Amino acid sequence: MQTTLQENPDASERAFINQVIASQSDRPGALLGILEAVQEHHPRKYLPMETLRYIAARTGIPPSIVYSVATFYALFNLQPQGENTICVCRGTACHTRGSRNLLETLRLELGFGREDESDEATDSDKLVLTTEDQRFTVRTVACFGQCALAPVVEINHKICSHVNEHTLQRQVRELERESK
Amino acid sequence: MPQTISIRIDGELVSALQGQTILEAAKQAGKYIPTLCYFEGLSAVGACRLCIVEVAGTDKLLPACTTPVQDGMSVTTTSPKLTQYRRIALELLFVERNHVCAVCVSNGHCELQNLATSLGITNMRHWYNYPNLPVDLSHKRFVLDHNRCILCTRCVRVCAEVEGAHVWEITERGISSRLTSGLNQPWGQVTDCTNCGKCVQVCPTGALAEKGWAVEEMVKQNDNISGLAHRKGGQ
Ligand code: SF4
Ligand code: SF4
Ligand code: FES
Ligand code: FES
Repeated sequence: MQTTLQENPDASERAFINQVIASQSDRPGALLGILEAVQEHHPRKYLPMETLRYIAARTGIPPSIVYSVATFYALFNLQPQGENTICVCRGTACHTRGSRNLLETLRLELGFGREDESDEATDSDKLVLTTEDQRFTVRTVACFGQCALAPVVEINHKICSHVNEHTLQRQVRELERESK
Repeated sequence: MPQTISIRIDGELVSALQGQTILEAAKQAGKYIPTLCYFEGLSAVGACRLCIVEVAGTDKLLPACTTPVQDGMSVTTTSPKLTQYRRIALELLFVERNHVCAVCVSNGHCELQNLATSLGITNMRHWYNYPNLPVDLSHKRFVLDHNRCILCTRCVRVCAEVEGAHVWEITERGISSRLTSGLNQPWGQVTDCTNCGKCVQVCPTGALAEKGWAVEEMVKQNDNISGLAHRKGGQ
């Protein structure tokens, strides 16, 4: 990933970050809470590079640690997120019940194109794709812990169980209509 | 003063200090246990599993570098089972990245290679992963070649614990884990780096090297770093 820098956190964003840092004070593990709160506060639910830099400078935590933590946890996004988030489980149980086809359906439905074997994202467990119009983000997760309901897809934080290609397509189209 | 206790290493009764690790006690008694991620004076992380030993009373193989001694403990440092598992650990390190010794600056002076030789590894029983990895040439004096990195974090620890600069960290996780500098910047752009070269000298492979050396020419000079680390710890 490149470090294409967004605008510096603006004054109000800075004030918010300062306040979060102050409230977390020196608790061990404070960084996690800070990153979470700051990401949640961002309208596009992500942590721009400049924000990470600012957090490092403000807390005195080395930038390398801030980056390491922000990339270790699947919870954190370093790219802006779409209005709607669809998360496909690619864990073992869901895989055996066809989650690859669900992902493929989403790719085609939302115009990402077919999975490309040379695509670097395919050999990583963490796939994140956002449509150009910023309306949808598709991501994968390694297991929701709901294997009995496999295959599982989470749509805007709602768990949908025993999903098949038709129901998924229908739900995506519904969301497309709603967010028009 | 920590209490002196007795343990057995390969049948021999030796004394150790309460709070020592098995590795420290073994070294003190002149016993050899292979290690890779361990570096004397730095914190131990138990990442490579080369130092595994058998301890009477448990079926689990325990890493000597992080397991504390206990009074009456009986440790075995060499056995066919241990050799087998140490080989597996090494083979997995080899297949994970692109270790082409013949063209490596550290060929002949590499801890990974030396261990493979001493454990009798001549070929890999698994497919190579052949990841497509970059080389960071941005630092004016040093190079980072991800192809040869085994993620032992010695560089991370020496830079954080001895130099106090904390330039390095591991980013992502699992098979995607990579060494990274600063906010994932090219090393040469990380202003916290003091150009001290400690990370280069403690790196067990050719992943971190000085510029200007050809194949086989990079010999690491790290004898003084443990002493430095101890002094720092003793402050
Ligand atoms: S040269 Fe020194 S300061 Fe720079 S990364 Fe290496 S250990 Fe850290
Ligand atoms: S660069 Fe060298 S010292 Fe650092 S993690 Fe990789 S192999 Fe270990
Ligand atoms: S594998 Fe999908 S929920 Fe566990
Ligand atoms: S030396 Fe003990 S686990 Fe690496």
